[in-house]
Amino acid sequence: MLQCIFLLSDSGEVILEKQLTGHRVDRSICTWFWEQSISQPDSNFKVLPVIASPTHYLFQIVREGITFLACTQVEMPPLLGIEFLGRVADVLSDYLGGLNEDVIKDNFVIVYELLDEMIDNGFPLTTEPNILRDMIAPPNIVSKMLSVVTGNTSNVSETLPGATSSCVPWRTTQLKHTNNDVYVNLVEEMDTIINSDGALVKCEIFGVVEVNSHLSGIPDLTLSFANPSILNDVQFHPCVRFRPWESEQSLSFVPPDGLFKLMSYRVKKLRNYPIYVKPQMSSESGTCRLSVMVGIRNDPGKQVDSIVVQFRLPHCVSSANLTANHGTVNILADKTCSWSIGRIPKDKAPQMSGTLVLEEGVEQLHVKPTFQVGFKIMGVALSGLKINKLDLKNLPTPAHKGFRAQTEAGQYEVRS
Amino acid sequence: MAGIRLHVISPLVLVAVRKCARDPSVYVRKCAANALPKVNDLRLEENTSAIIEIIGILLNDNSPGVVGAAAAAFTSICPNNLPLIGRNYKRLCEILPDVEEWGQIILIGILLRYVIARHGLAKESIMASLLPNIFSNEKTGSESDTDYLDIKKKYEIGIEETELAGMVSRSYLAGQDKYLSVLDNNSDVMASEHVSSLFTSSKHDESVKILLHCTSPLLWSRNSAVVLAAAGVHWIMAPMEEISKIVKPLLFLLRSSDASKYVVLCNIQVFAKVMPSLFAPNIEDFFINSSDAYQVKSLKLEILSTIATDASISVIFQEFQDYVRDPDRRFAADTVAAIGLCAKRNPQVAKTCVEGLLALISPKSNTCGFADDEAVVLIQAITSIKDIIKQDPASHENPIIFLIRNLDTIKVSVARAMIVWIGGEYNSIGNIIPKMVPVILRFLARSFPSEPIETKYQILNAAAKVLLNSKGEDFDTAKNILSYMLELAKFDLNYDVRDRARILRKLLSCYFTSSRIEEKEKADNNEIEIPVLLAEHVFGENVKSSIETVNKRFYLPGSLSQIVFHAAPGYEPLPEPCSLTESDMVKGLEGPDQTEVNDSDVDSGSLNEEGSYYSEDSVTASTRTDDESATSETGNNNNTDSLISFADVSKPQEETNDISELMSKGDLESWLGDNNGQGQSQSQSQSVDERIPSARISIGDISARIKPNIYTLLDPTYGNGLKVEYKYSLEASTISPSLVSVDTFFQNCSSDPMSKLILTDEDSESVDQGSSESQKDEPVFVPMEEITTLEPGQSIKRVIHVHFHHHLLPLKLTLWCNDQKHPVKLRPDIGYFIKPLIMNLDAFSQKESQLPGMFEYTRSCSFTDHLAEVASDDKDGGMSSTKDSFLIICQSLASKMLSNANLHLVSVNMPVDAHLNDASGLCLRFSGEILSNSIPCLISVMVYGNCFEPLNASVKINCEETVFGLNLLNRIVNFLAEPRLTS
Repeated sequence: MLQCIFLLSDSGEVILEKQLTGHRVDRSICTWFWEQSISQPDSNFKVLPVIASPTHYLFQIVREGITFLACTQVEMPPLLGIEFLGRVADVLSDYLGGLNEDVIKDNFVIVYELLDEMIDNGFPLTTEPNILRDMIAPPNIVSKMLSVVTGNTSNVSETLPGATSSCVPWRTTQLKHTNNDVYVNLVEEMDTIINSDGALVKCEIFGVVEVNSHLSGIPDLTLSFANPSILNDVQFHPCVRFRPWESEQSLSFVPPDGLFKLMSYRVKKLRNYPIYVKPQMSSESGTCRLSVMVGIRNDPGKQVDSIVVQFRLPHCVSSANLTANHGTVNILADKTCSWSIGRIPKDKAPQMSGTLVLEEGVEQLHVKPTFQVGFKIMGVALSGLKINKLDLKNLPTPAHKGFRAQTEAGQYEVRS
Repeated sequence: MAGIRLHVISPLVLVAVRKCARDPSVYVRKCAANALPKVNDLRLEENTSAIIEIIGILLNDNSPGVVGAAAAAFTSICPNNLPLIGRNYKRLCEILPDVEEWGQIILIGILLRYVIARHGLAKESIMASLLPNIFSNEKTGSESDTDYLDIKKKYEIGIEETELAGMVSRSYLAGQDKYLSVLDNNSDVMASEHVSSLFTSSKHDESVKILLHCTSPLLWSRNSAVVLAAAGVHWIMAPMEEISKIVKPLLFLLRSSDASKYVVLCNIQVFAKVMPSLFAPNIEDFFINSSDAYQVKSLKLEILSTIATDASISVIFQEFQDYVRDPDRRFAADTVAAIGLCAKRNPQVAKTCVEGLLALISPKSNTCGFADDEAVVLIQAITSIKDIIKQDPASHENPIIFLIRNLDTIKVSVARAMIVWIGGEYNSIGNIIPKMVPVILRFLARSFPSEPIETKYQILNAAAKVLLNSKGEDFDTAKNILSYMLELAKFDLNYDVRDRARILRKLLSCYFTSSRIEEKEKADNNEIEIPVLLAEHVFGENVKSSIETVNKRFYLPGSLSQIVFHAAPGYEPLPEPCSLTESDMVKGLEGPDQTEVNDSDVDSGSLNEEGSYYSEDSVTASTRTDDESATSETGNNNNTDSLISFADVSKPQEETNDISELMSKGDLESWLGDNNGQGQSQSQSQSVDERIPSARISIGDISARIKPNIYTLLDPTYGNGLKVEYKYSLEASTISPSLVSVDTFFQNCSSDPMSKLILTDEDSESVDQGSSESQKDEPVFVPMEEITTLEPGQSIKRVIHVHFHHHLLPLKLTLWCNDQKHPVKLRPDIGYFIKPLIMNLDAFSQKESQLPGMFEYTRSCSFTDHLAEVASDDKDGGMSSTKDSFLIICQSLASKMLSNANLHLVSVNMPVDAHLNDASGLCLRFSGEILSNSIPCLISVMVYGNCFEPLNASVKINCEETVFGLNLLNRIVNFLAEPRLTS
């Protein structure tokens, strides 16, 4: 099982060290790790997630510049370690409202308390965010003031959360809300690959059903879809009962309180994609002309927002001069070119054009960048998934129900 | 409380935990389960049974939360105590979906192990179908239900590379060799019955069905670790038509974080290798996104090239064309390699592949300077082409011509060398090439001095090959060119080029002397023929390419070992099928360890009578050479130290109770000897004489007592009367210091003579015929010389050399005898991966202080070997024996250590204030260095307890290489704890 967890800053400094078992892990392992990751050719810390160091096996994930590192010496499922680190990162950013070195250093007490609750003797204990909130109060100004005034630094609540003993460990027992409401939100991400011939290679939707529930008592909810057959595969929150899904493809569950991901799903083999990007490149004698056109291909019926086209300039480009007739073009230090368009105007098609100057001695550009597109469409789920109805049972007072949908671009790539 | 880690309070904690385990509150029970591993961590042996009992209670609990925590405790404390699971198996399965996600991961693993141990493999599963011999048995067997055969037929097409796949399934299981040996003589009816009983039907057997049923909803879990664990169960146990269930969930995991994506891909890669048809419909999931990390990209490429089918290959190639233009050139080079692989697997697309690759080489695309990364792609492209051509040279005439034409424009030395090689190798194909090659050679001859070294080698080789193949007019030109080149090479700056030129000249001297080809043909005598044959043989050889690295080791899906490609400490393959019997279940808490006792041990036990000859003769001979120096050293020490020790010893014993003062071995013996002397009230001068011989005798004793274990490689009953045994030699290998040398003894027990005995590496011929996999990390077996004949009763000793690379799994070899093949297994012994490192006590303690903290690990065990001797000594020895008992302990401990591992005994220390019969504080130090990297490895054994009772030995290892150190520690503890076979 896990022996130790380290949090490293983006400069390799150990922010936090948490020993989990009696077998101490020396800090020198972090130095070793950091030297390894720096020595990698592409310095984006893209070392393997599982590393066999001379003394330990390391699992690592990187979130917003913070490297989470877990060490073990014995055989264990590597995904357990990785998944757990991911949960830790989620919970911390949830508690602290974002992750960075300073915010962790400001809230050491809370971070250690959280880790204490989340893992015990190297084995994950309580990872459900709702329960953790009951046990350890999130930091806020009032509690900070209190701790300064009273000198009592502990945020750990005195009583045990009721849920630990109930049969629904994700929900606290006595909940009372003055106005009961539940919102269901379909958030979809579209993954598309369009190859250099302009043909669609892959188009898929990964969607999440997010539920934000503020309901009293122990409600029993049933959510059913109008067209569940289009779902290729699904993953559920632990609160979902498997039987009803197997028999009639409906989701029956007792919700945790607050916002949570009820289920994620995948829809494959879609034909329509909302935005086209047409890059054209021609290079001769050391310069390369580039022009990119963007437009709506299949109108989704709603406004397409915050369109961004990004690509990396190839290594052999020494300088670039790009302009657009709509939106702004930025070239960042790491040779990433980002063209933010926003909404597509009605009267003209946005176009970016310009020249790339190649390095000395290079006549032609023969590597082709890949364009990554970002967009957002509110109010529509492009997969076509429709919610049929949501039944609420076991509620003292009637509740307000709400539904929303949105689609974003996931890995939406156009190759040139 | 349990976290305090105080030995003193542990009984109290245990009582508290026991009480809490029956507490009405679920939370309290859960915490009790969590506390158990901590209590166990204190390593108090007397508590173990109590802890296991509590685990049993907790596993019986009704609340899912408690069961999850109890499962975690179970794996960390007693993972092999499967009967404990058996009692609650059904309930555990049913409760599984409700257990919290972290507990699920662990519990799935436990249940899988239990089912395999209890009921064996599922008959319909992919694992069973992959052991080909079982097929034949099953067909003849009584249970040939047609239903099953249909399924099998359907899926036989789906499973390619059964060889590889069979290996995968075999490497999952422990103790498989037993079955393999059974399967080898499958004429035996008993054997086939035995085998079929190993398999259970997942359709008919309730326990398997329930496990599969309960794990299938877990494939929808949001926790990727749970999904992968559940997929692993289905992979091993599910019937083949249901195995496709795991595909979608696994592919869904690819959308999760980068880190888990990599792990999942590693596992999919193995699945895909065994059963490409499984993932073949889902190729677009493995298409590469530009945001993927490099490792993910290369894994996806490898999977794509594995699952490519005739139907999908065109789509995949279109993708590859895009990848080749990726800005990341390293990845582009990988793509080129993958194209080559695809072409090899699907020969009908080879033509298109080659054309595509040639386009890459063509001068047009080559203008982007000659940056390093660009060269990588170019070299890879030519390597791929070379591999494709190699499969069917005749049909690829045009590509060869194209390459040769472009030789002028290609400047990268490796690529040039490769093209020259291609030209030389295929110089006689078709009509055009034979004409082109001499021209090219002439051109190369002119530029020879300015070529880089690699190219020079290949030019020389190519010229020689052309010479061998040419006739008539061409022969003269070729000869002229070659002699010109050799002349140039003679004065080359590089010595290797000069040497090669000289060898070539000697080899081909016949061609130079005989001015005409007709003469050569006429000259039919051997003098000329031999060099010609030799030359043809030399140049007929192919240059090995090392593009494809087929990973030959497989571990359980979802395990850490599968990702890092070596067995992590604590990794265990699945238990032997059906090793858990009813009687074990009845016994309850008694683990199935009885069946685990290796048959090899039994064999070696029964064969020890014969084996001991060897150990007496050869081993003492060999060790004596080693020890002689040591003997003389300690002898010298004894002499020099004796002056000091006199002073100590002459005093009454009570005065020498300075605790910190420790005595060296020499001192100890002189002290013992001296006590004897005093007992006999002799003068000091006489006691000196006595002391020295006594020291010598004791060392002689130890070396005589070292008996390396002899293992059986082939039993006479299976090998038609041929018996092969082996033992690890203490001498360093004569070939390379990193090799482990193994003494092998062949004995003919039958009445007929045997011939052509040879041991070869099994994998070299059986696996993946065409591809040249040369992974760096796998055990390398240096071929031994053949034994031509072996008369009845005769026995021959051969030394074989193996480079294990620290792998601890058995090495599979093939023993050929009378042209018959016997698969055999060589079990590595980590104790012989090291060699003695001579050092003195000061150097030892200095080195030890340099390796603190994470380089130091300790384990303890009980040691009983000395008991018999001490007891017998006590009976007839009377007074003097009490003093000798220390010596006996030292001797038996040292001989045990030295006969199981190749170490140097540094010192034996004992505290001066030792009480009568209390051996506590006795300390033996050994040193060795790891063969492969010469990292020193220090071992100290401390002994506690009474002389007449089993001693508690605590073994400490200081070694920089932690994984190795831990493995060695486990090995030492194991052999120390196991009782001596022959007294």
